Amino acid sequence: MRRRFPPLLLWLTLAGGLVAHPEIEDALRRLNARIAATPGDPELFLERAALYARHEDWINAEANLSMAAELNPRHPAVARARGALALATGQPGEAVRHLNAALALVPDDPAARLLRARAHARLGDRPAAARDYAAALAGLDRPSPEFFLERAAVLDPPEALRSLDDAAARLGDTPSLQEQAAALEEKLGCVEAAAARYTRLARQSERPELWLIRRGDLLVRAYRPVEAAVAYREALQAVAALPDWLRESPETVSLISRLQALLTRLPASPP
Amino acid sequence: MIPPRSALLLALLLPAGLSAAPTILRGPYLQSATPDSIVIRWRTDTTEGSVVSYGTERTALTKSAKAEGVAAEHIVQLTGLQPATKYYYAVGPAALPPPSTEKKSTAEDAPGRASIHSFTTPPPVGPAKPTRIWVLGDPGTKNDVQRAVRDVYYKYTGKRGTDLWLMLGDNAYPDGTDADYQKAVFEMYPETLRTSPLWPALGNHDGKSANSITQSGVYYDVFTLPTRGQAGGVMSGTEAYYSFDYANIHFICLDSHDSDRSAGGAMMQWLKADLAATRRDWIIAYFHHPTYSKGTHDSDKDTDSSGRMNDMRGIFLPVLEAGGVDLVLTGHSHVYERSWWIDGHYGKSNTFNAAQHVKQPGNGRVDGEGAYRKPRARTPHGGEVSVVTGSAGHASSKPVPLNHPVFFIGLNEPGSSVIDVDGLRLDLVFLNDKGEKRDWFTIVKE
Repeated sequence: MRRRFPPLLLWLTLAGGLVAHPEIEDALRRLNARIAATPGDPELFLERAALYARHEDWINAEANLSMAAELNPRHPAVARARGALALATGQPGEAVRHLNAALALVPDDPAARLLRARAHARLGDRPAAARDYAAALAGLDRPSPEFFLERAAVLDPPEALRSLDDAAARLGDTPSLQEQAAALEEKLGCVEAAAARYTRLARQSERPELWLIRRGDLLVRAYRPVEAAVAYREALQAVAALPDWLRESPETVSLISRLQALLTRLPASPP
Repeated sequence: MIPPRSALLLALLLPAGLSAAPTILRGPYLQSATPDSIVIRWRTDTTEGSVVSYGTERTALTKSAKAEGVAAEHIVQLTGLQPATKYYYAVGPAALPPPSTEKKSTAEDAPGRASIHSFTTPPPVGPAKPTRIWVLGDPGTKNDVQRAVRDVYYKYTGKRGTDLWLMLGDNAYPDGTDADYQKAVFEMYPETLRTSPLWPALGNHDGKSANSITQSGVYYDVFTLPTRGQAGGVMSGTEAYYSFDYANIHFICLDSHDSDRSAGGAMMQWLKADLAATRRDWIIAYFHHPTYSKGTHDSDKDTDSSGRMNDMRGIFLPVLEAGGVDLVLTGHSHVYERSWWIDGHYGKSNTFNAAQHVKQPGNGRVDGEGAYRKPRARTPHGGEVSVVTGSAGHASSKPVPLNHPVFFIGLNEPGSSVIDVDGLRLDLVFLNDKGEKRDWFTIVKE
């Protein structure tokens, strides 16, 4: 099939849009020159679309993606980029349509899976989102905590907990994963498990008082004042072990006051 | 007897196989240094074993560490090291022979597998130790300006070793590809890479070939950064943002480009935990997008860099300042801009009120209006200096406003920054590409 090259006027139109930053202008100038030299290369239009998209110039981004699609309708990156663009501009349904096309061409593309998972989540289709997150995960060597947190948001709490524990096993006990897991456990009434997470974080920290206070706060909310008082006392002990210059800092002094005030309201031992 | 056709094949192949040992294309370079461990990486043109021979005497590399299997991208971790100790090392497919049979080593800076290099492990965490830090923002142009800035620093530091160096993003222009990194980083700073651990941040140009949520792409392939708090600090679970300790300094690297920058996001949760956990005297934060700038980027424009500067100023800076940060280092804007001793300015430039936001008047110069002073006790909102040092590869070719009122000084000049921390005193110097000391200030804790 003979490729149709965009006429000069269209190149200029697609290269439009005033960009303020000289660095972007330079990149645009370089790309325009390359497109003028090789007008049939869809990669260049993709690159220019990405440049516009990075600066939220959606109209020019879409125009360049359309041109890339015209030059190679079966280019998987084009469909993926159109999906990403639709998602960025608040059109999740449209995004799913483009990403279906992208995944029909390259079914194991984790980036397209991740984008479609987000689009499904935006549409409220949590099962479909969960399936895509799971499929994307299978293709990733080093998923980030953000990935697992996004995934947990579309899962039912027990499944979300399992996913977060899987993440912690792979990535370590990062606060973002453990705090989310503890919040879910508290919601499910699993106070013991949530408290154990804070204990673990406290053991790993050079300054455990933050996590001991979280444990105490959790136990107060769970109407377990005696255990809460134990956690707060442990936090006070941790603070007492700090070097003078840290213990006497304004924030530590106010922390000590807060803990002492909390302890006066809690029973010292079981009634 | 060997059949004639096989003999011909052997004749063609054997000499090449015997003489053409793989060539080192990249490195060795040092990553994720801790007082008792370090990661050494290098790349060869073909696959082979990954072995590092090392020891505390140049002529006796009696220990070795290896990675399993064969690879062209070699990553070997040395463990069980002594803090603050100079080690010599050589990389190759096998351990070096014992000293008695070892040939005389080549010069330290010479390329190639037989070369012996050295590094010094970081000191124990906590106690102070004089520390030199080289800071490069947006260096990766691969051009003469980048070389000039580099050479000025080499001359400035002379025989004083660089304990560690930071890259503030846009490490390799234009697209952060592997080829860009090869020219802009690995072929630009080979000596420093072999002797001092590099701690990078992700910039927007690096982000063209990398993705933070999937931790994939060139930036994530090229660097080995601590995700489990192994170099100090709280584990982040990602190489996109991380922290580490060096002596009495806590460093925090944020991803201002591609990670979730929302107030409830994972990076923020980690940052709060990390700030609360540190017991170091100094906290230095670094990331790519500046909190303030009127250079080649304008932090007053909401659309500039898709609002990333707003996010870093409005969402992250309050948390950093509340956590007691002393110094904020950024790039992205290809200028040098250095603030007064400030706190609490999170709006646009027209909301800056010196009476409210400048915590200590003066230029911070010991030979001028005096050093900035701060209590040693961790003080939320005790003041900090924000430095945009994004001209290690190029300055702006056009005039730029440089009129943000938060800054004491703004310079449209190529250059890099050098930080010296000695106990409770921190000095920062900005050196331009002509070798001139164009700005300097001191912070003293007491």
